[in-house]
Amino acid sequence: MSNWQTKVASALSRGIGSETPVQWRLDRKGVQTGWCRLPEPMDILPAAQALAELQGRLSMVTAYLTAAAKLRGVREIAYHFDLDGTTLTLTCELPLQGAQVPSITPIFRNADWNEREFMEIYDIQVTGHPDPRRLFLDASIEPAAFERLIPYSTFSNGANSKALWDKVMAGSPGETAPGVASTASPGSAEPGEVTTCGLVPSAPGAAPQENPLKETP
Amino acid sequence: MSTRTITLGPSQLALEEPMYFKVQVAGDVVVGLDVIAGQVHRGMEHLVMKRNLYQNITLLERLCSLCSNSHPSTFCSAVEEVAGICIPPRAEYLRAVADEIKRISSHLFNCAVVAHIIGQGSLFQRAMEVREIMQDTKEFIYGNRMDLAANCIGGVRNDLAPESAGYLRDQMERMKAPLDELLCSFETDPAVLGRTEGVGVLTRRHAIDFAVVGPVARACGIDYDVRRKSPYGAYDRLRVSVAVETGGDVRARALVRLREAREAVSLVGQCLAEMPGGPVWADTLPEIPAGEAIAKSEAPRGELIYYLNTDGSDLPARLKWRVPSYMNWDALKVMLQGEKVANIPLIVNSIDPCISCTDR
Repeated sequence: MSNWQTKVASALSRGIGSETPVQWRLDRKGVQTGWCRLPEPMDILPAAQALAELQGRLSMVTAYLTAAAKLRGVREIAYHFDLDGTTLTLTCELPLQGAQVPSITPIFRNADWNEREFMEIYDIQVTGHPDPRRLFLDASIEPAAFERLIPYSTFSNGANSKALWDKVMAGSPGETAPGVASTASPGSAEPGEVTTCGLVPSAPGAAPQENPLKETP
Repeated sequence: MSTRTITLGPSQLALEEPMYFKVQVAGDVVVGLDVIAGQVHRGMEHLVMKRNLYQNITLLERLCSLCSNSHPSTFCSAVEEVAGICIPPRAEYLRAVADEIKRISSHLFNCAVVAHIIGQGSLFQRAMEVREIMQDTKEFIYGNRMDLAANCIGGVRNDLAPESAGYLRDQMERMKAPLDELLCSFETDPAVLGRTEGVGVLTRRHAIDFAVVGPVARACGIDYDVRRKSPYGAYDRLRVSVAVETGGDVRARALVRLREAREAVSLVGQCLAEMPGGPVWADTLPEIPAGEAIAKSEAPRGELIYYLNTDGSDLPARLKWRVPSYMNWDALKVMLQGEKVANIPLIVNSIDPCISCTDR
């Protein structure tokens, strides 16, 4: 058993309070990776604290919702830590609905962006995050973007020259886009009507509409 | 003194990609920073789950131009790890050659940008001229000046013919003196020192707290390089000397990069001298089974990590990667604290930020 195997086993059992098996692999170059499934999502907090005491570094956090996990009725988050060249992955299982994990940003400062990122692409809440704002996605985009079916044509509105041109021209009073037969003036679309950009305007003060394309978990 | 917030975009920051900063200033001194990311978010982590493992090699190479070889090579390593594919030794050396060539070009580009920002026009010109030797090299050997298309699952796509190896050896010889000369300028030229020494300081303690990697970490005295700590490919046989500085400032970061460029020339030389013969890709590839793997590499900006989760199909169930710039952005909050507003572009560029990599 290598030095890290002993240290990690003892740190995790001290932190979590129970024996947590870690599966270790050694590649052809002698580089070690450890794989551990935490009993409960809340265990990530004491486990992270234990690894911080070993001078570990948080490398990355991966949230995912694979078809296999979905069949088991769960989603997962993998926290990857670096221990001086050895990578240890701690995986937690979370429910499909109402998934919550505690923030480890108070322990590893660089967890900040990782947690903000997975909060906006998956339906997972991070409790105790010091700054839970959107990171990459605009606030107007519905949450859990990776869990929705979004047609490519909607994604690529900006990449389609005609759609973009129509959108630009729709904002210029008195002008119409070449080749566009409609004479509707900007803002004349009725609530619920689909505009040239494929957007459905809401009535003033109306609640945001449910995305009809949203996938059910 | 009262504070106000100014918003800086890519043109004010001398960046070629879009990243916005909300900077809190008191007079002309920075007292706070908020980084606004996401302008080039392309949903690439979603796209890779809709493409098969082969298509992803091509897609990932287009994630970023400066470290474009690191992404496909690290991704291929992850696939090979999941499937237990052992790539031929010659392919390991050829992957190292491609990575080191890209490292030299990337580092020289950043040093040129730093020279440009501090008003050293001739130094900028010289750095770009020297880099042009590397651009020619890439074009001659790979057919492209940026994306090399060198990697495939199980090895590399093309062997290095004897005449190409000879050309590469000559080009590396041509790099040695100019790189030493550039290092000397950044190390001793009073005009350069005056603008880079003691500017944008990140202490070792802060570097550990923010978990920065690559030249930004090594400029703070952190002796960490994936090629040494978690050797991959041919790096378990190559003698890698890790450049470390202790100043933690703009100067230290530039010196680390130039020393690494010089070291990369030596590594390419080692590869050419020690590379065995034989095939450059695995003859037969197995089915990619269900599994998960981690692959890491030392990209020009530091540790690049990939996580691959497969389900036995030819599409990744999940593919996630974290680029070195990801943590380096946040550390700017410390580097910029107390600095003059005029120094912001210099300090921001001294972390050699990659925005298309960060946003994905």
